[in-house]
Amino acid sequence: MKKNVFYFIGILFLMISCYPEGIEYYEETDIVFTDYTESFDFASRGTYSMPDKIVKITGNLVEGEDPEFVPEPYNTQILNKIESNMTAQGWTKIADPESADLALLPAVWSNTTIVYYYDYWCWYYYYYCGWGWYYPYATSYTTGTMVMTLVAHGEEYIEPSTVWTAAINGLMSGAYDTSRITKAIDQAFKQSPYLNTK
Amino acid sequence: MKRITVFVICCFLVSFTSAYGQQGSHLAVQYDMSFGMGDLGDFISAPSFRGASLQYRYAVTDNILVGVDAAWNTFYEKMDYDSYTVDTKTLSGIQYRYQNEVPILVSVDYLFLTDNKFQPYLGLGIGTIYSERIVDMGIWRFEEDPWQFALKPEFGLMYNFSNSTAFKLGLKYYTGMGGDLDTQGYLTISAGFAFSL
Repeated sequence: MKKNVFYFIGILFLMISCYPEGIEYYEETDIVFTDYTESFDFASRGTYSMPDKIVKITGNLVEGEDPEFVPEPYNTQILNKIESNMTAQGWTKIADPESADLALLPAVWSNTTIVYYYDYWCWYYYYYCGWGWYYPYATSYTTGTMVMTLVAHGEEYIEPSTVWTAAINGLMSGAYDTSRITKAIDQAFKQSPYLNTK
Repeated sequence: MKRITVFVICCFLVSFTSAYGQQGSHLAVQYDMSFGMGDLGDFISAPSFRGASLQYRYAVTDNILVGVDAAWNTFYEKMDYDSYTVDTKTLSGIQYRYQNEVPILVSVDYLFLTDNKFQPYLGLGIGTIYSERIVDMGIWRFEEDPWQFALKPEFGLMYNFSNSTAFKLGLKYYTGMGGDLDTQGYLTISAGFAFSL
């Protein structure tokens, strides 16, 4: 009788043991975050300036050196996508940042995270780890982030002030998957209807 | 489909090798299907087909059984790409939502018929429920896992194959309250076998 009970329990747990599935494709990790300053009146402004290069933040810039930039043709593809979205919202791009109402500043960076599995010191203190220990292994994943900020300046500001931030983040499948980036840029503007000046 | 066929065959094999009786105590092992209600239903509308429960019962009289319940149910739903706004902040992406429910209860059942192959019963459980709520979005994970006070009314039917084995079908409503989550509720249909010990 007891044997039957255990068989039945075993069968039952085999049936339900498959844990639900999760993320399958890189694109499914893409998220778009936006935030803005509620008191800022976007509708009363209409011009912006934007650099013609996207800075790549690496964190190891030596003083006096120029920063790295996103290479072509990705740089132009991304900037064109930003510009077309701004134009669609009623903004006019001008060359002189000082006379523009806002400055739009894009930047990108990537982060690689290394994950260790099992206690990595067991190869040395194997007697401490006991039976069943195995060599450790590690895996890594790289995430890419792109940030766009709209910065206001002028007489009413002591310092330039960020009035809109958009951050795009996702697992990287390779270098500069522009279709994912441009799709996310479209989404950032779509979820920011307050930018519309029309 | 194959797994369901194997499951049904095994259930019949088990039932023909035993004989059931209500004397003493029994252990019921059941497969659970669950449907989220209220806050849990809003969070995950898809039903759960991953669940199991164990019920131990001791007959204190012919028609009153007391014992303990333990169960586990996993709810899961992949949401479509959507935007979520709080104040001035908006976050868009695909959400993967999971919720594990593990109730542990002290229970009492009342059998309406004692000298019959069919034994309808009413039960009530009281105890605690561990709720683990997870939202995966992008590479980020948001998690809440409170223990809540739990109640479980149950209505069911046992069919006695023999002196030591019965088929047991139950309809249960679990509700958990308190803790960091709103009141959680879900309806469970349990089907399985009770073995006399």
